[in-house]
Amino acid sequence: MERCLTELETRPGDSELLAEIFRAVHTIKGTTGFLGFSRLEALSHAGENLLGLLREGQLAPNPEIISGLLSLMDILRGILRSIEITGAEGESRQDRAMIDRLEQLQRGDASIAVAEPELATVDAPARPSKPRKQCAPRKRSHTQSAPLQAESGEAGPPPREVEQALRNAEPQPGPFPASPSIPARPMTAPLPRAPEIQAAATSGAADSTLRVDVELLNRMMNLVGELVLTRNQILQATSADAGFALLGRRLDMVTADLRESVMKARMQPVSHVFSRFPRLVRDLALTLDKRVRLEMEGQETELDKSLLEAIRDPLTHSIRNAIDHGIEPPGVRVANGKPPEGLIRLRACHEGSHVIVEVHDDGAGMSIERIRQKAVERQLVPPQRAELMNAREILQLIFLPGFSTAEAITSVSGRGVGMDVVRTNVEKIGGKVEVDSQTGKGTILRLRIPLTLAIIPALIVRSRGQNFAVPQASLTELVHLSAGETDSRIEWLENAPLYRLRGHLLPLVFLDRLLQQSPRERNAPCDIAILNADGRRLGLVVDGLADPEEIVVKPLAAVLRTIGFYAGATILGNGEMALILNPGAIAQNAGVGLTSETAEASRDNTRDGHHEFLLVETGARRAALPLESVVRIERIPRSRIELAGARPVLRFEGTLLPLDDAASELLAGGDDPEAQTTVVVCRDGARHVGMTVSQVLDVAGGTQLEQAGNGEIADGITLLHDRVTGIASLSAIPSLQCIADAPAIEFASPPKEKR
Amino acid sequence: MSDNRANPTQEVCSVQVGDTLFGVPIAHVLEILGKPATQPVPLAPYYVGGLVHYRGEVLTAVSLRRLLNMEPAKAPEDVLVFETPDGLFGLFVDSVGEVLHVSAADHEPNPATLEARRQVLFDGAWKLKDRLLVSLEPARLEPVRLAGAFSA
Repeated sequence: MERCLTELETRPGDSELLAEIFRAVHTIKGTTGFLGFSRLEALSHAGENLLGLLREGQLAPNPEIISGLLSLMDILRGILRSIEITGAEGESRQDRAMIDRLEQLQRGDASIAVAEPELATVDAPARPSKPRKQCAPRKRSHTQSAPLQAESGEAGPPPREVEQALRNAEPQPGPFPASPSIPARPMTAPLPRAPEIQAAATSGAADSTLRVDVELLNRMMNLVGELVLTRNQILQATSADAGFALLGRRLDMVTADLRESVMKARMQPVSHVFSRFPRLVRDLALTLDKRVRLEMEGQETELDKSLLEAIRDPLTHSIRNAIDHGIEPPGVRVANGKPPEGLIRLRACHEGSHVIVEVHDDGAGMSIERIRQKAVERQLVPPQRAELMNAREILQLIFLPGFSTAEAITSVSGRGVGMDVVRTNVEKIGGKVEVDSQTGKGTILRLRIPLTLAIIPALIVRSRGQNFAVPQASLTELVHLSAGETDSRIEWLENAPLYRLRGHLLPLVFLDRLLQQSPRERNAPCDIAILNADGRRLGLVVDGLADPEEIVVKPLAAVLRTIGFYAGATILGNGEMALILNPGAIAQNAGVGLTSETAEASRDNTRDGHHEFLLVETGARRAALPLESVVRIERIPRSRIELAGARPVLRFEGTLLPLDDAASELLAGGDDPEAQTTVVVCRDGARHVGMTVSQVLDVAGGTQLEQAGNGEIADGITLLHDRVTGIASLSAIPSLQCIADAPAIEFASPPKEKR
Repeated sequence: MSDNRANPTQEVCSVQVGDTLFGVPIAHVLEILGKPATQPVPLAPYYVGGLVHYRGEVLTAVSLRRLLNMEPAKAPEDVLVFETPDGLFGLFVDSVGEVLHVSAADHEPNPATLEARRQVLFDGAWKLKDRLLVSLEPARLEPVRLAGAFSA
């Protein structure tokens, strides 16, 4: 309902939303009246009246009305909690004031509606400033004392339906939208806190969910681990018996599935925490007379339940800070050439071995001088030291206990407990807080939450018989070097190993050397995992690759954490263990710099004059095919290729594909119908064409060549592996129509490659 | 066995490492893992024998052989799982033997002639009928403790 209300503010004309809210309040009223909770009934009745006017279009929603409705909801929720605990509604002096306020809102705006009928009937005056002036008693009416109308508390069963109505103010599938539907959702736990209510609502599947104690999940997780071990032992013990082996495999599959399901059960999307923020932002902005828009991104990013709980408070603090200290009042913003509405962007994403949650505001940023001055004033650092600190160090001061730049203590902030708490809480779960601020442009607060217990996709690599997991997030590509190639393809600049990746030198790190494992044989086959760790690029040389797997990160003991190269350990699906590599630390250790490598990465990304090609050999020549046009490469028996006129065509997925056979590959196998030909199927505009090749050599990046003299980009040729190579011209392959029409003689040697 | 105040007896789990018989008070032993699969940790401090899988968790296990500067074991080792306030850890030993009842009266502190490193690790010994049972206290073998004591 909270979400609906805040949404209503941004989309005041949405009648669907209004109907939803109305329905929820109506349900509460109906049920409470029936159960004899008079306080609830009176309040929801007042709310319903107001909503009725809104729904009929006699009133347009404005911030005052929404504020009123939100605080009504708070009171309703408070009563529900009291019923939950004591079985009675409890007493409160807020009710009268609340009802008065709601009535005032009705009247206040109803009069406008009468005076300006046009304005009221037109769907939505977006943010009317007029009603704001006319509504006298705004803000926090429950702090005003009003005549007490004591209601005698009535004992009775807690009205679950009401709770449900609050909770399920979401579109309910069903033919009777107005009926007070009571979802059959087992409720055994005490009343959940607000965000959980929303979480349940946003999932939209209240009927099919169940609340489970996290402790139980932890226990299940451990038991599953045990099961995996036992399974392995059974598999080993029974490998001799064929019948048992089959059963063993089945057990294997079931165990793996079970393990995965239990792991997933602990994960929740960050939206469970994010969902409370629209309301928070809205209320704070109103209190502080600021205009703030909240944007949220990456809400589906999943985090382990316990970590999610742990970042709830730090995030709330951070957002409060961003609104209070970051975003300027609208007037100031306009004066500084910014839009009057401030923007707070909340973003969650996976990055390497962490989940990053960012709070980004486009406010005033932090003044380094002011922080320095305040820190000295509050005696957090000695003045001499403060003078010597650089901007980065100064920014770190805001995390000191007792730091605040606020001039006065307000209800929002200024007590000097904000950032300190943020850091302590995040560090408690092994995370990090980073802050970056540009005066005048805004502040980014970045929470790095470790993946402890989070499930990450990883590639399992092997080095000297040991498993290591490389997080997929930092993996960009893989290069395989076969036995003979290793020595020639890995180049050495003094003692720095390098690999030429599409013409650029990529620094290499040998995992076995890094970890001081037993050295491998010279020229043994190896794989290079190309990693991008926070902007640092390097190739990690390993003995071989195993499967990609979703892994659960297990923390390492402190003595092993200090090694630095490991982000944790994990237990693989087969019960073996693997150490999780920390690409960032490896890159840092290898001294891979940020700047030059990011430049290279961006060069790769922009692909300025740089394209990927499939390098093929036709006859004795090498030719390049633009990689983006290659659909697939197939070995095709001669018998599937037919001649249309003198032109070979291929039956391919029920269609007829014109083939280019410039190098007469088709004749190479003689008359043997079983002989096979390699065909590269390419996309040329809307049609597909095929090209016979004797061999597919490589995928490589080509560099465009300029013609000497005029400096124009040469068409049709590129530099691949330092050799000038012709780009096959697909459009030169005649269409089927041409094949049917043209006499055979013209196809003797169509110009295929320009040289 | 009875908790006679004058002569209290204690149950200790006997473990063999090399030629020495060690005893760990059974109350501290959470579980004994028979020859579990282990995962070595490259670059780890020398006393870390590797990781073992215990009930869905990855435990760091200390190698008693390495701690005592002994030759690496030739056969797979058993692991004792200990619980400490800081969490769980494992201890690699050659093999786990029977549970023995020892009496406090038979316990003597470390002899002064014992090598310094062993002075720190051992907690005296019990005099059995025909041999000595070296007392090990899990708290002294915690990886964090060892990191402090033998970081060099």
